[in-house]
Amino acid sequence: MLSLSVNGRTTAIDIAPETPLIYALRNDLALNGPKLGCARGQCGACTVLVDGQPVRACLTRTSAATLPHRITTLEGLGTPDQPHPLQAAFLAEQAAQCGYCTSGMIMQAAALLAERRPALDEAQVAAALDLNLCRCGTQPRVVRAVMRAARQQGA
Amino acid sequence: MNAPTNLSRRGFAALLGGAGLAIGFRWQAEAQAPATGPLMLRTNPRMESWLRIAPDGSITVLTGRVELGQGVLTAMRQIAAEELDVAPARLTLLSGDTAETANEGVTAGSQSIRFGGEALGVACADARATLLGVAAEAWGQPRERLAVKDGVIEAPDGRRMSYGEAAGRVSLARPVDVTARRKPASAATIVGTSLPRTDLPAKVFGQTVFIHDLRPEGMLFGAVARPPAYAARLVSLDLAWAKSLPGVVEVVRDGSFVGIIARREEQANDAARKIVAAAQWRDGAPLFGGKSVFDHLLGDGALTQTIHTTAGATPGARTHRAEYRRGFQAHASIGASCALAKFEEGRLTVWSHAQGPFPLRGDLARGLRMPPASIRVIHAQGSGCYGHNGADDVALDAALLARALPGRTIRVHWTHEEEMSWAPWGSAMVVRLEAGLAADGALTSWGHDVWSFPHSTRPGGSTGCNLRSAWHLENPVPIGPITDGALPNGAAGRNAVPIYAVPGQRVTTHFHTAMPVRTSALRTLGGYFNAVAADMFLDECAALAGVDPVAYRLRHLTDPRLVAVLRRAVEISGWQPRAITLGRASAAGSVLRGTGVGLSKYKNSDSHVAVVAEVAVDVGSGAVRVEKLWAATEAGRLVNPDGVTNQIEGGMVQATSWTLMEEGRWDAGRMVSEDYQSYPILDFSHTPRIQSALIDRPDLPSLGVGEGSQAPTGAAIANAILAATGRHVPEIPFTPDRVRAALRG
Repeated sequence: MLSLSVNGRTTAIDIAPETPLIYALRNDLALNGPKLGCARGQCGACTVLVDGQPVRACLTRTSAATLPHRITTLEGLGTPDQPHPLQAAFLAEQAAQCGYCTSGMIMQAAALLAERRPALDEAQVAAALDLNLCRCGTQPRVVRAVMRAARQQGA
Repeated sequence: MNAPTNLSRRGFAALLGGAGLAIGFRWQAEAQAPATGPLMLRTNPRMESWLRIAPDGSITVLTGRVELGQGVLTAMRQIAAEELDVAPARLTLLSGDTAETANEGVTAGSQSIRFGGEALGVACADARATLLGVAAEAWGQPRERLAVKDGVIEAPDGRRMSYGEAAGRVSLARPVDVTARRKPASAATIVGTSLPRTDLPAKVFGQTVFIHDLRPEGMLFGAVARPPAYAARLVSLDLAWAKSLPGVVEVVRDGSFVGIIARREEQANDAARKIVAAAQWRDGAPLFGGKSVFDHLLGDGALTQTIHTTAGATPGARTHRAEYRRGFQAHASIGASCALAKFEEGRLTVWSHAQGPFPLRGDLARGLRMPPASIRVIHAQGSGCYGHNGADDVALDAALLARALPGRTIRVHWTHEEEMSWAPWGSAMVVRLEAGLAADGALTSWGHDVWSFPHSTRPGGSTGCNLRSAWHLENPVPIGPITDGALPNGAAGRNAVPIYAVPGQRVTTHFHTAMPVRTSALRTLGGYFNAVAADMFLDECAALAGVDPVAYRLRHLTDPRLVAVLRRAVEISGWQPRAITLGRASAAGSVLRGTGVGLSKYKNSDSHVAVVAEVAVDVGSGAVRVEKLWAATEAGRLVNPDGVTNQIEGGMVQATSWTLMEEGRWDAGRMVSEDYQSYPILDFSHTPRIQSALIDRPDLPSLGVGEGSQAPTGAAIANAILAATGRHVPEIPFTPDRVRAALRG
């Protein structure tokens, strides 16, 4: 049994330790946020936070993310009633088309905002998100959304 | 963290963003189809296919169109809400279900709003007029004196009647009156506003919204062990061994189709990999006989047809000719294709993100050799598809597996490698252009030859099966007849007819039906490359004439809508008129900058888009950087301006990626560009800054915008490189190697 802390809740699941974390999150814990993309760590759709750091859940063995590590997925960031600034900003900027990459974008950006850089600019946001791919072409909107959330956070 | 436990209609209605239950009867469209009115109402005349109003006043709007990330369900909601005078949030939307909605074929070609939206608008206008008539008669009031506020009919004396009550007094289970008049654009309060996308909150909070999120009780995971090459066939496989692999519940072998059902997703994928490696396969012939794909295209076997001519060619003072090439390009969706299937008592239910639930049903029926009436296809959202990717194919995979294990839902989610290697590719193409130029530079003739593989091998024919695994069965069901799309829309010849007023036009297609690499619809079909090539060529003609590219276009334009977008793009980009010098030997500086323009009217009948690009070319490395893009768009009446902007700007980013980076490669057996390293797409750091302007024409019908900006973006980038360097790079993508070669040449 592997004990996982996900979004503040602890659960135990009976899977092989080497199982990629993305399958544990999606198929065992029925979380929708992290998406299975390329499964090679190239697209970022599966990004979740482990102890606040963005990791690719497709390349992370579940056994490497067990307690005391703490996993956060999109569901753990905020809710419609209490959205994370990034979730609110993505809606305000309508920063998606199909939305398949959105969770990974938000999680990667959440780690960036947590650094609370004093003068975050668009180039830094783009650099931080460079390994998150969007095929619909919403990159300009995503950058605007992250900048909006950063402003809100700073306010 | 409970997963939904069933996939009932109620579950799906909720999934689609409404709480109401679909009501009313589904009548077969037995009524005489009207010969006039919106096209979609001719094939789907029944009101229940578009709109259902329950006695409690709940309203369900149905559309045969499906959400692909383009925001179409939000736009349809706006159109229905506008005509009905109901708050958009009160509507329940139901889309793409062969048991419920209209058959609108495939959601493609930027036609949803133009055709599907018009039909829905007329149906809703008809319903509103009918319900108003009920109240008018009941109250003895002239209809003109009544008003509707959020689904409640009101008389000046204060009497009120809800739509639900009115609907209870009249039968809406009848054909739509196609003469019903839609609300004038000037009276609109919902259409024309940027209503936020109704599906985005679920996507931002991780709610159940994608097909990948459906987890019915007892679901098992499927995978397919693909042959090592397209032409390879299975010789032998130790089935007992395969079934003993960890987690495997069942292995289905039918000819060269080998599918695995396992308890866990990763177990199914692991088993598939092991089976591919352990099975014995018989190789086929090498792809393209080892030649380049362009030699193959220009060689034998093409069907040559002149599809368009106009009179008036005169010999010019000089003739200009050029050839342009583009390799294979991929849809490269972030999420690979996925489907769920359940077989029960001879009936099959498939959940699919395919673009056409009805066409898919037909091909599933032929592939599985079962009657279409026994199959229900229900749309659920997937990752953006950008054309005919693996979405249809994976549905047959899931169905073949589900048939082996009745009563259990089987989910198949392709791997990204599988999607890249086995889904259709966008065709490689060659275009040759030839024009006569008068002494003053005016065009005196225009010839456009295009060599291409097919651009639509979608499901939806009347024979054969266009789903890949059907070709691998012991008794294969071959692909249906392959034809090129005819003008005016065209497929290989899409946008090959010039948008410029040139005498003596000729367009000839050289069409290959044999597909060593399977090809099908990639956003715009042949439109992107034909229009890019033509607009690159036009800039060369302008240079030969010594005329500024914008002025040269204006000299050859008679379409006022194209003139309007071109002028607008020029205005917002601060275009500086200048003639291009061809073949500048070596411009000074290590980084050359240039500005170029591209112009297109998609399908020669759809949205009008002009793009200006500013690029920087690194002479040493050959790397091209697109610094900024400006676009002006006119697509008739705007239903949702922000949705239009999102589509136009997204198309510009995608086309930047196509134009600079994307090219599929193959080995003897199959496409091998199977991940984002071997087939990279544009990242954030290389995404250009974008400024776009919309021209609203509420007086004109809405046009599609999903495919409007790709071609002018590609052309603007190419022409900016020409302006910067004096040379065109003749082959897309404009990789550093090719740019360096062009600079040397």
